[in-house]
Amino acid sequence: MASHSHIGKPLPMTDAPGKVTGLGKYADDLTVTGMLYGKILHSVHPHARIRAIDTSKAEALPGVKAVATGKDAPNPYGILPIGHDERVFALDKARYIGDNVAAVAATSAEIAEAALDLIDVDYEPLPAWFDPLESMQATSNWIHEQKPGNVEKEYHHEFGNPEQAFAESAFIREERYYAGEVTHAAMEPHSTLAIWEPDGRLTVHSSTQVPYYLHRTIAEVCEMPMSQIRIIKPLVGGGFGGKSEVIPLEVAAPVLAKKARRPVKITYTREEVFYAHRGRPITIADLKVGLTREGKINAVAARVVQDGGAYCGYGPVTVLYSGALLGALYDIPNVRYDGYRVLTNKPACGAMRGHGTVNVRFAFESTLDQLAHDAGMDPVEIRRRNLLKAPCITVNGLRVTSYGLPECIEKAAERSGWAEKKGKLPYGRGVGIACSHYVSGAANPIIRSNMPHTTVNIKVDRDAAVTLFTGASEIGQGSDTIQAQIVAEVLGVKMERIKLVAADTDLTPVDLGSYSSRVTFMAGNACLEAAKNIRAQVFAAVAKKSGCDPAVLEARDDFIFSTRDPGLRMNFDEAAVAAIDFHGALVATGTYAPPEEARGGKHKGAGVGPSPSYSYSAQVVELSVDTETGQVRVHRIVAAHDCGKALNPLTVEGQIEGSVYMGLGQALQEEMIWNEGRLMNPSLLEYRTPTTLETPEIESIIVESNDPEGPFGAKEAGEGSLAATIPAVANAIYDAVGVRINSLPITPEKILAALREKEKQRGGKVARSNGGRR
Amino acid sequence: MNKELIRLKVNGEVHEVAVPPHKLLLDVLREDLGLTGAKRGCDDSSCGCCAVLVDSVAILSCVAIASCYQDAEIVTVEGIAPPGTLDPVQEGYALAGGAQCGYCTPGFLICTKALLARHPHPTLEEIRVALSSNLCRCTGYMQIYESVQLAIERAQAREAAKPAPVGR
Amino acid sequence: MTMPACRVARPKTVEEAVRILADSGPEAMIIAGGTDVVPNLQMKLFTPRVLVDIKPIRALAGITMVAGGALRIGALNTLTEIVDSPLVQSNYPVLVSAVATIAGPLQRNMGTLGGNLCLETRCLWYNQSYFWRKALGGCLKKEGDVCHVAPGGARCWAVWSGDSAPALLTLDAEMEIAGPRGSRRLPLAKFYRNDGIYRVALGRDEMVTAVFLPARTVGRRGLYHKLRIRDSIDYPLAGVAVALEVDRNGVCREARVAVTAVNPAPLLVNEASEWLVGQKYSPELVERVAQAAIRTGKPLTTSASTPVYRRDMLRVFTRRALEEAWKNGRD
Repeated sequence: MASHSHIGKPLPMTDAPGKVTGLGKYADDLTVTGMLYGKILHSVHPHARIRAIDTSKAEALPGVKAVATGKDAPNPYGILPIGHDERVFALDKARYIGDNVAAVAATSAEIAEAALDLIDVDYEPLPAWFDPLESMQATSNWIHEQKPGNVEKEYHHEFGNPEQAFAESAFIREERYYAGEVTHAAMEPHSTLAIWEPDGRLTVHSSTQVPYYLHRTIAEVCEMPMSQIRIIKPLVGGGFGGKSEVIPLEVAAPVLAKKARRPVKITYTREEVFYAHRGRPITIADLKVGLTREGKINAVAARVVQDGGAYCGYGPVTVLYSGALLGALYDIPNVRYDGYRVLTNKPACGAMRGHGTVNVRFAFESTLDQLAHDAGMDPVEIRRRNLLKAPCITVNGLRVTSYGLPECIEKAAERSGWAEKKGKLPYGRGVGIACSHYVSGAANPIIRSNMPHTTVNIKVDRDAAVTLFTGASEIGQGSDTIQAQIVAEVLGVKMERIKLVAADTDLTPVDLGSYSSRVTFMAGNACLEAAKNIRAQVFAAVAKKSGCDPAVLEARDDFIFSTRDPGLRMNFDEAAVAAIDFHGALVATGTYAPPEEARGGKHKGAGVGPSPSYSYSAQVVELSVDTETGQVRVHRIVAAHDCGKALNPLTVEGQIEGSVYMGLGQALQEEMIWNEGRLMNPSLLEYRTPTTLETPEIESIIVESNDPEGPFGAKEAGEGSLAATIPAVANAIYDAVGVRINSLPITPEKILAALREKEKQRGGKVARSNGGRR
Repeated sequence: MNKELIRLKVNGEVHEVAVPPHKLLLDVLREDLGLTGAKRGCDDSSCGCCAVLVDSVAILSCVAIASCYQDAEIVTVEGIAPPGTLDPVQEGYALAGGAQCGYCTPGFLICTKALLARHPHPTLEEIRVALSSNLCRCTGYMQIYESVQLAIERAQAREAAKPAPVGR
Repeated sequence: MTMPACRVARPKTVEEAVRILADSGPEAMIIAGGTDVVPNLQMKLFTPRVLVDIKPIRALAGITMVAGGALRIGALNTLTEIVDSPLVQSNYPVLVSAVATIAGPLQRNMGTLGGNLCLETRCLWYNQSYFWRKALGGCLKKEGDVCHVAPGGARCWAVWSGDSAPALLTLDAEMEIAGPRGSRRLPLAKFYRNDGIYRVALGRDEMVTAVFLPARTVGRRGLYHKLRIRDSIDYPLAGVAVALEVDRNGVCREARVAVTAVNPAPLLVNEASEWLVGQKYSPELVERVAQAAIRTGKPLTTSASTPVYRRDMLRVFTRRALEEAWKNGRD
């Protein structure tokens, strides 16, 4: 087969020109005539009944055009059908410091801010819950009356016979792990411009990963038909899950616009971004893993408590992912999982890159390292002995179609010099390995239906431009580019010929959004189908015109030609016109819905975890620990990722490196710090995402397992690498200085305390020569 | 607050705008001049998204009061190359993956431009230090370094392609 | 977050600036680079009626050798200019070592030496937005009467978080301060009051115009160690500057150790000079001085990381800085 023209090429992103010239527009860059500035009033109490709100003084302030409270938009909403517990403005109670209570639209941001101070809210403070373990014991003052005991959801799964398996295990480790709360910290603070149109319709430009869910929610909250609402996603400055459910300002702006009958823009301050949050929850994981004498993992049991904050959000999905993917990376026959999503009086957690898998993977891979130690086995070898054999179905019903993990492990080990380094570096320096995986989109939609998860349309007109109408949301990950590459490849046209119209609900068909790493796989397959349809129509017309069999035709470099007759060659412009002449119009639709057999088992909660395919990653981290300060310097991270097929190696590498970077931040320095429900570090100065100077060299290695169902064999690339970084760091620290830190972030302080504890246990003797090594 | 008429020289053009005297340069650029390339990513001068050049020095426009910069030559990302063309720095970031979501990109471009003006051939360590007050949440910085390297190569190639000066 | 409405005055001379300060009283606030002031204004920590932009005062910038071999650094010199200055590099390496760690390159391009020496003290309970503080109910330093760091106390423990001051303390620097009655000189050590609220000995109608580094401290070998989580952008969580003069025989002839980010002021460790002068290097001596440093530094929960760890690191960093300086100081 001839090589590809576009697929597999490191092409620059199609939207790069707008981004490097400063001319591309993000939501906050937009202004329209008559636009008002919206500001939101947030609760100063973590838990309080709202007795009354007096907005009269604010309304009287010159320049104020609208003030809205919960009474203006009482309909509840939420990303999950089972979790409609949010209101745009609190109606009865405020549930965290920063909860949304009211909003003002005014002729300037300054006036809007001043007006917030004039709104009188009569609060009745209530006892609040901050600690998840205490909260789940609550017998009164529940955060939501309909959720007794402050447990949002709990799931209990058992596959195989874990008890018996543990009894038969030669080595068992039981450990408690703690992961602090982290957040996306996308560089772009959320922004929404809602325009009340003169014909009574609403147009909303918003920084969203999920225009479709936003569309539905605004319709519900504003009590307008979806047909009267248009959602447009402009350039989005990063999401990572933080824009993957409806964020309060996205509903507040339309509510104000409808009330003021004017355009209203709300842009969050960085502090408000932290309150909107939806990040990775504090997780307490009690993990037990059993190993046979041969080094086979024969059982895993986990009890996981997640501190979800004050609203449901994606919470039940997060806690289900934690369970579903815990035992599915390796071949583990016996799994028990007890997961609890707990409510507390803090901002709501949600989906963040590696959704649900990250903190349990930290726990599992750390424990596996200890078991390797117990069994006297190399950490690479123990992973080799526990691989799945694809294709297969895991014990919890996940269908694995392609499995590049073995190659990931070998490549990461080889390129990092594992064999020469493991256990052989001087005290203070070490290497660690860990693996992870992730879904290529969820096989079951949030709102259950059998409709396609994504639909795209292609139109070719007499100008012979190929216009792709796609609902998929480019958020910086390169999905526009990937879709254009797929269409250009199939049609054999140059990239410049593809025009992409994306994420505008008036123009583009439904795509569920950019979350759970679904776009390349799902929208990619839809593009593939639509483009093949167009190509068939073009070939039919060309065949008709030249009297050949369409089966002998091929398309490449803007030409249609025959594989049999060198004289038959038609450029795409002519061919397109011929096809329009022949068919009347040259249009096609492509859709994608995951196959029935990919949708998982039947147990309660089985809907989360199944995916049409899974990505895999193996990573080796090399670092040094300063034993006097506990400070860690990461030297190098080698990350091998199985993305099925790299449709664009440049963007795949960018995704791997970005994932590793984010994992590294969580491993060593990022944490939201709470004090009685008060976020102590709601800023980029105090919430410390890594700068260039702490970020080491990251070497990304692409592994291609060619998934049978992925477009050109492709699967997920944007999330799966994150989770491995954290335990690889923890394992490398152990290798370096012989202490194991089970709590994230692994701060210098924790390392130092552990080193001192170890010294104490040795009777004060410091074995500097070989530290904690065997 | 009464407005004040200020003159700003931005991207080679002089603009007169009436703004409150305390208005920040970032806001004047974005709201009054329509130059939305520089971005606001934080509220405490700690992310670098708002960087612009002032007399060839990269600064944070989010903590600069516009009326205090009336004598300066201000260059924003929109002005680092003539309209319709790309500076080698822009080409580097566009081609080598330096811009993912693109929100931090204007700040990185400005700081890279300032760096290369001073050191046309920086070491990797010098690049890392020069870009260390710009936060990027997408790339892990690797492709940003590759973008800077590509920019250097492209600038060299352009230099080499220039016709040799005629005569002596 | 928006800026509070205010006028901006742009004096061309120091005299004019001082006059404006004198006329406006507590309603005026000086702005230079803006990296500290503007975020504080947006948080409404200050709501001045007049911002006095001193950047147009040309006399306030310039790094020059003055009579007697002292070095004068203008208050308006940016931190980048100081790091890049050959005069500073060759004569006062400890200052370069400290200033190069301040925030990141963008902030150093704007931030000035005067500004860094007059930073507002910092505290996690104070450097927060208007909304955040409202939810808290304020603190001793602003809008409240309770210190959340040391409840029950009547003293504000907001921490001095500058990096240049400890280095300048080890170089016996002097401040040049202009006021309505003319110019005065003040040893830097007397400039700081070790009070989270009334942080510096500067009248409302006064301004810092320059820093003098005496000829006698030229060539003092030393360096600055800074505890921070990130290697850029961050304020110090603790910092120690060391400057030594060591003779040919390895005997210490002059010594200064100063700590920062652990008290409401940068402070000299007084025992250091006393114990080190006349001595040769020994690990025990250095450890003893390091112990003195942690008696001087009294970190509380004003910033990320615990007081225990910051104190610990003060000891480690002091010891390390002394060891390195001693090594470098040997001819």
